Amino acid sequence: MSAYQFRNLSTVLIGFSLLVCWAGAADKVLQIDGSTTVGPLGDAFAEVFKELHPDVSITVKKTGSGDGAAALIDGRCDIAMMSRFMKDKEFQQAIEKGVYPVAHVIAMDGVCIVVHPSNPISELRMDQVRDIYMGKITNWKELGGPDMPIVPVSRDTSSGTYESFHSMVMNNEKMAPNVEYVNSNPQAHARIRSTPGAIGYVGIGFLDRYVKPLKINGVTPTRSTIAKGIYPVSRPLFLFTNGYPKLGSIVHAFCTFYLTEKGQEIIEAKGFVPLTEY
Amino acid sequence: MTLWRQIKNAFFTALCSSSVLFLAVALMLFLFPMLWKGSKAVFFRKTVEFDKMQKELFKRGKAEDLERRTAQTNQARREALDLLEHFSRGIDTALLSREARSAYQQLGRHLRYLEVADEEYARLREQAKEIRDAFLQALDTVDKAEAESLLDTVDAQRSNSRFQNSPFEIVFSLSKQYRQILQEIDLSRRSEYAAELDIVKTEMRKLFGPLPGESVPPLPQDRFGATRWDVAQKHLHYLIYQTKWVPSGKDDKRLIPKQIRRDDPDEGIFGKTELAPLFSMVEQNLAAMLQPRPTIYWRYFLDDSTAGHYFGGAGPEVLGTLLLTVLSMCFAVPLGVLSAAYLVEYAADGITTRVIRTCINTLAGVPSIVYGLFGLAFFVLMVGKPCILSASMTLALLVLPVIIRASEEAIRAVPQSYKEASLALGAGKFRTFLTVTLPAAGPGILTGIILSLSRAAGETAPILFAGAVALGPIPNIGLHLKWLFQPTRALSYGCYDITVGDRLAMQVPHNQFGMVMTLILLVLVLNLAAIFLRWRMSRKLQGI
Repeated sequence: MSAYQFRNLSTVLIGFSLLVCWAGAADKVLQIDGSTTVGPLGDAFAEVFKELHPDVSITVKKTGSGDGAAALIDGRCDIAMMSRFMKDKEFQQAIEKGVYPVAHVIAMDGVCIVVHPSNPISELRMDQVRDIYMGKITNWKELGGPDMPIVPVSRDTSSGTYESFHSMVMNNEKMAPNVEYVNSNPQAHARIRSTPGAIGYVGIGFLDRYVKPLKINGVTPTRSTIAKGIYPVSRPLFLFTNGYPKLGSIVHAFCTFYLTEKGQEIIEAKGFVPLTEY
Repeated sequence: MTLWRQIKNAFFTALCSSSVLFLAVALMLFLFPMLWKGSKAVFFRKTVEFDKMQKELFKRGKAEDLERRTAQTNQARREALDLLEHFSRGIDTALLSREARSAYQQLGRHLRYLEVADEEYARLREQAKEIRDAFLQALDTVDKAEAESLLDTVDAQRSNSRFQNSPFEIVFSLSKQYRQILQEIDLSRRSEYAAELDIVKTEMRKLFGPLPGESVPPLPQDRFGATRWDVAQKHLHYLIYQTKWVPSGKDDKRLIPKQIRRDDPDEGIFGKTELAPLFSMVEQNLAAMLQPRPTIYWRYFLDDSTAGHYFGGAGPEVLGTLLLTVLSMCFAVPLGVLSAAYLVEYAADGITTRVIRTCINTLAGVPSIVYGLFGLAFFVLMVGKPCILSASMTLALLVLPVIIRASEEAIRAVPQSYKEASLALGAGKFRTFLTVTLPAAGPGILTGIILSLSRAAGETAPILFAGAVALGPIPNIGLHLKWLFQPTRALSYGCYDITVGDRLAMQVPHNQFGMVMTLILLVLVLNLAAIFLRWRMSRKLQGI
């Protein structure tokens, strides 16, 4: 075989294989994108789901609620995980692009306001928390605690957890410039764990022996107060799809997986609160 | 004057060497702890639970050997687990109440089956409901006398013939059981006990896996006990000690931590209960219960992981990073070298080339997230979806300026006489470049590649939108090229993901740092390979 022939042959081969891969790219694929808070649930669902539907290849990406919404609107994903409801603006954009977002509430999460365990304060009112984050209260002394400056820690403004806190606790008021911003729940946890004067907020799954949750308006954040919605900073966690998924489709199966016993157990194991008792 | 010059020289030498030293120390301070923590993902003391996990999740290890060890450890654990179960029956009344509820439901079904008349059915159901509620109230109350009187109302119905030989009979035996428990425990402290017992049970589960009688948890992370000896030690501490935050006594209102043993006779919550022996039992026999052995888990670099990187390794991430890096080099190197050659050999030194050069220099300094967004807006749209191809093209774009600049310098450094000799022998410009200039510039070009390799392997931002996922199918590499159009996991994105998302990251720091270590090692290996290649090349050039 001459070099020329060989080159021809290889061109044909490469072209052919490219064709094959374009044809084969349309396997059963489920693309999930969105919130870092809901992400662990997405991961765990996907892991168990894979065993039930081995022919489906699932990809999970965690870039934040806002990006999840954008991805759903652009058609970059099938399911968007969000730790807040879609904003009016996002809805509008979606409708303009012919995407009809449908929300599936899969679990509840409590945004627990936490302090260092060495802090004797165990209860605050909502307006006191707001005053702390607005910079009106700057020392624990003013709240009956030790003489220690308050270090308010917040999540970054692009996270759904921030949005929930911002609307439910802050009434959409601006935070003071001395508020520290961190990127994730684990980072917030680490900051509060290491700073005696800190106050911050994390999902209920991050409560442990190193941080102390505060009673807010007299309600302790527990599974039951969050599930019932009594705890004032409770929020539902969403999956958004484009229209209600076609019955019997893989998206439908995934979006209703939380209703199964396994799904509920996973929600519990991942530190969230299932909506129903199983 | 000479002295002054000598002093200046000495000062300059000291400054240079100290800055190098400073850099080295900083690198060590930063790199060593990282590598040390990461190495624990590979070198550690495994327990029998680790072998169980490997057997179940990865189908590894000898079955007989594992069975024998499981039997041995179960033997060692039995006493402690029995103690826990016996004690928790009195505290945790959830089980009793569940049984009573289900007995009531079954009674309804039973009566329907017997085809009892409607009126009679309603009456019996009403009666049974009253009994059940009395029993549930007895479980709820913390007043012993009240509980006993409630149990009396339950027992008054024991002789009712309609309940005998029916599923409801079990309620009476439950009531008898609870009467016995009432004698043993202090009801007023039950809620306190229950909360602490919950912690003890959780820690026991973390040490030994699901407790006897519990169903298999859906997630693998909860199916096994402590797979590593260091983790086991940590949970042992949590099991035995409780931290109380007490006032420091001074004027300062701050609380200070105080470690108290749970079985301490005076202060410990379980000090005066039947559960007290459990703690020293576990403390003394932990080695027999878990059988720790040193191990080298080299498969960490190959294994897939479970959700949240709880078990397993970084295999898919390593593969993904390799694919992305190598593929991006395949795009960037030919393009970069060719454009460098054009700029040096062909382009006239006019205003256009100067503008082009400035652009390239600027591009080298553009933040990587800008490339990421460009990749999303251009390559992802071009290819159709985020995948390995679009991600590696984005990475190629990111490293292109570095490669062009390094190649340009290398090509320019080739002595003019080489080219002239080749041209004088009758070779054309293109042939001269291919056979003389390029080989001579090879080592310099490779330096550029080395620099960009590490950058391509370590960048997160460019691949964030262009093709990296936290969880996805492992690329099945083959001639069919289908894998090019799949998204992939990557080490850099994995590090990010494990840090921001899951609360599990706090429980598996070894896996978190393990991934960082793997990334550093991978970059090191890639660099060493390139350096070796450069060494071979320059040796050949020197004619050795």
